[in-house]
Amino acid sequence: MKNLKDVCIIDDDHIFIYGIKRLMKEVNFGEDILVYENGKEALNGLRLHLEAGNKLPSIIFLDLNMPIMNGWDFLNDFCKIDASELNDTVVYIISSSVDPRDLVRIKSYPIVKDYILKPVTVNDLEVIQKEKVA
Amino acid sequence: MESLVISSFIKDYPASVVIVNRELEIIDHSELWLKELQNINQSPIGVSIYNIINYTSEEFLKCCEECLQRGEITKVIQKLNPLEEKTRWLEWTISPWKENHDKINGLIIIKNDITETKRKEELLLKAKSIARIGGWEVDLVANTMYWTEVTKEIHEVPMDFIPNLEEGINFYKEGVDRNKITSLVSDAIKDGVPWDKELRIITAKGRELWVRAKGEVEIVNNKVVRMYGTFQDIDEKKRVELKCEEVSDRLLIATKVASIGIWDYDMVENKLLWDDNMYSLYRVKKEDFSGVVEAWESSVHPEDIKSAQEELDLAIKGEIEFNTEFRVVWPNGEVRYIKAIGHVIRDSKGNAVKMIGANWDFSKDKKAEKKLKDLLDITSEQNNSLTNFAHIVSHNLRSHSSNLSMLTGFFSEEKDKEEKNRLIKMLCEASESLDETVQHLTEVVQVKTEAIDKMRTVNLYEAILGVKKNLAVLLKEKDTTCKIDVSKNLQINAIPAYMDSILLNLFTNSLKYSSPKRPLIIKISATRKGPYIKVDFCDNGLGIDLDRHGDKIFGMYKTFHRHEDAKGIGLFITKNQIESMNGKIEVDSQIDKGATFRLYFEAIDN
Repeated sequence: MKNLKDVCIIDDDHIFIYGIKRLMKEVNFGEDILVYENGKEALNGLRLHLEAGNKLPSIIFLDLNMPIMNGWDFLNDFCKIDASELNDTVVYIISSSVDPRDLVRIKSYPIVKDYILKPVTVNDLEVIQKEKVA
Repeated sequence: MESLVISSFIKDYPASVVIVNRELEIIDHSELWLKELQNINQSPIGVSIYNIINYTSEEFLKCCEECLQRGEITKVIQKLNPLEEKTRWLEWTISPWKENHDKINGLIIIKNDITETKRKEELLLKAKSIARIGGWEVDLVANTMYWTEVTKEIHEVPMDFIPNLEEGINFYKEGVDRNKITSLVSDAIKDGVPWDKELRIITAKGRELWVRAKGEVEIVNNKVVRMYGTFQDIDEKKRVELKCEEVSDRLLIATKVASIGIWDYDMVENKLLWDDNMYSLYRVKKEDFSGVVEAWESSVHPEDIKSAQEELDLAIKGEIEFNTEFRVVWPNGEVRYIKAIGHVIRDSKGNAVKMIGANWDFSKDKKAEKKLKDLLDITSEQNNSLTNFAHIVSHNLRSHSSNLSMLTGFFSEEKDKEEKNRLIKMLCEASESLDETVQHLTEVVQVKTEAIDKMRTVNLYEAILGVKKNLAVLLKEKDTTCKIDVSKNLQINAIPAYMDSILLNLFTNSLKYSSPKRPLIIKISATRKGPYIKVDFCDNGLGIDLDRHGDKIFGMYKTFHRHEDAKGIGLFITKNQIESMNGKIEVDSQIDKGATFRLYFEAIDN
C-alpha cells in the first residue's frame, strides 16, 4: 500500500508515541513523522516547517489532554491558518476521553475527520490509510 | 256717628271680616271680604250669610250657634275641595259682639286662608312618613302616651292602638336594648337629660328592627311633666352600616394577624397614608417622621429605592400593575424583604387619582428560597463535579491501561532482546503512572469524605514557615525571595494536613510557573476580614490566562497528568480542601505579571 508523506503526532505521552510509531511502521503508514509534545510546540514547529518551504502534513494525530496548550486550544489556533496552505490536511483526535461533551465539541471543527479512542490499533491505521490514499 | 266710625274702620280692616246679627244676617264687612267673594253684584248688607257663602259647613253653623249662646270665641278649620280648583284651607274665627255688655247681638267672623301653612304641614307629615320618622309624646301628669301614625306603623300595631309608657318600653329588645332605654328614660324623668340612641325593637309582628329614638323633656317647676320626641326606622341603613363595620373589622383583624400593611396614596392631594401595620412592618414610629413619604424613603434600602419608584411611575402611567419587591432596613440594621402591590384608581378621563395597596414582609419566604437555591447550586455543582470526576477517572485509567495493553502486545511479539528491555522499562513506567493516578484519585475522594471534626486551631505563620522550610532547596534553586507579612499570633480553624497540602500546592505552582525573565518573588500577607482571615498568596510568575481558563482553573476539567509540568488536579484539590474547612479561594492574574490567590479561612479569636 502506498504510504503517506508527512504525518504529525501531537501527544505528551511518550509511551503512546512509541506505540503509534511502531504500529505505523508495521502497516507502512508514512515516511516523515513529526512529533510534538503539546499544542504550543506543534504550532511553533509547524510554522517553522512552513517557513522552511515545506507543505503542512496531510494527517495530524491530535491528543486532547496536554499541558501548556491542550488539543482544543491547538485546534482553535490551527483553524486560523490560510486554507491555501492546508494541503488537504485532516486531523484525527486520538484520546482516552469517553466524555460525550468532547464528542459533541469535535463536530464543530470541520477539519477534524474522526475520533479514535485509545488504544490505537493496526486496524484503525489501515482504515485511515484507505480513506486518505483512495 | 260712632257707628259710622266703626263701619268705616271695618271697611278698611286689612283682613276678611264680616259682622252678622243674631239671625246671621250681614250687618257690615271689610272691603277685602267682599273682594274675595266673587260674582257679587249687589250689596250683601241684610242678606243671610248662608246665601252669600255657599260653602259653609255644618260644623261652621254649629259653632256660630254655640257662640251666640255661650259667647266664647271659637275657631273652625274648613277644607275646601272645589272641583276645578286646588284644595284650600280656611280658618274661621268666630267671636261674639255685645251691645249692652251682656247681650250678644251678633258675631264677628274673621276668615283666614291657611292653605299655605296647611300645605307645609302636610308636606312635613309626608316627609316624615317617607323618612319613616314618627313622633311620640308622654304626658307624665295625666300618665298618657301618644304615638303618631308612623310610630304605629314602625311598631306594626293597628292604628287604633293606644300605647302607654311601659308598653312602649317593652317593645325594645330584651337585654341590652331594653335596659338601655329604661335607664335613658328614667334619667330623663329624674334629671331632665335628653337622649338620642340607636336601638333594636321587636315589632308587634315579631320583626327585629333598628330604630333611632330621640327624646326631649319639658320641665315645669323643676319637674318633668312631658316627654316627646321622634322615632325613626333606620333598620336598612343600620344593617348596611353594621355589615360594613363587620367587614372592615374582619379585614383589620386579618391584616393585623397576617401583618399586612395597607397604604393609600391620594395623587390629587399628594398625600400618602399608612395604617398602623405599615409602621410596624418598617419598624418606625409615626411621630419620628414629618410625613409618610419621608418614613418610606428613609427605610427603603438605598439600592432598591430607584427601581421601586420607577415601577410606581409605570403603574401610574398604566403600563404595568404595581407588583414589586424591595428591601427595607430596620433601625437595628436588619434587612427585610417587602412585597408591595397596589391598584390605581382613575377618574372618568383615565387620570390616576388614587392608589391603594398593601405591603407584607416575605423575608421568611425569601430566605427559604435562597436556601433552596443554594442547596440546588451545591447539588448541581456536586453532580457536575461527580460527572467530571467519573470522566477523569475513566480517561486517566484508560490512558494508562491502553499503554499497558499496547506494550504487552509488542512485548509478546518482540524478538530483539534490546528492544524487549526497552519495552520492560516502559511497562514499569506505565504501571508507576497508573499507581500515581490511583493515589491522586484516592486523595480526591478523601477530601470529599474527610470529616469536619478534624479541624484544629492552626497558627497560620507557623504553617507557612513549615512548608517553606520543606521546599527550601527548590526555592533556592530558583533564587526565590519570600516576603511573609503575617502576624505571628493569627489563628485559624483548619485541618493541619490540608493546610500543608494547600500551601505546598501554591508554592510549587509558583515555582513551576515562574518567569524565566526574572527571579521569583513570593509575597504572603494576611488580614482579618469579618469572620475570616484572608491570606493573599502573590507571585510574579507567568500568570494564568483567566480569559481562557478562568472558569476551569479550579475545576477538574484540566485532567491531572503524569507529566512533570501538569497542572489541574492540584488546584482542584486545594479548592475542595479549603471549602471543606468552610473557607473559599479566589484567583486574580495577569499574563506575564503574576498571580494572586486569595484564601479565606475561619478566624479564631485569641
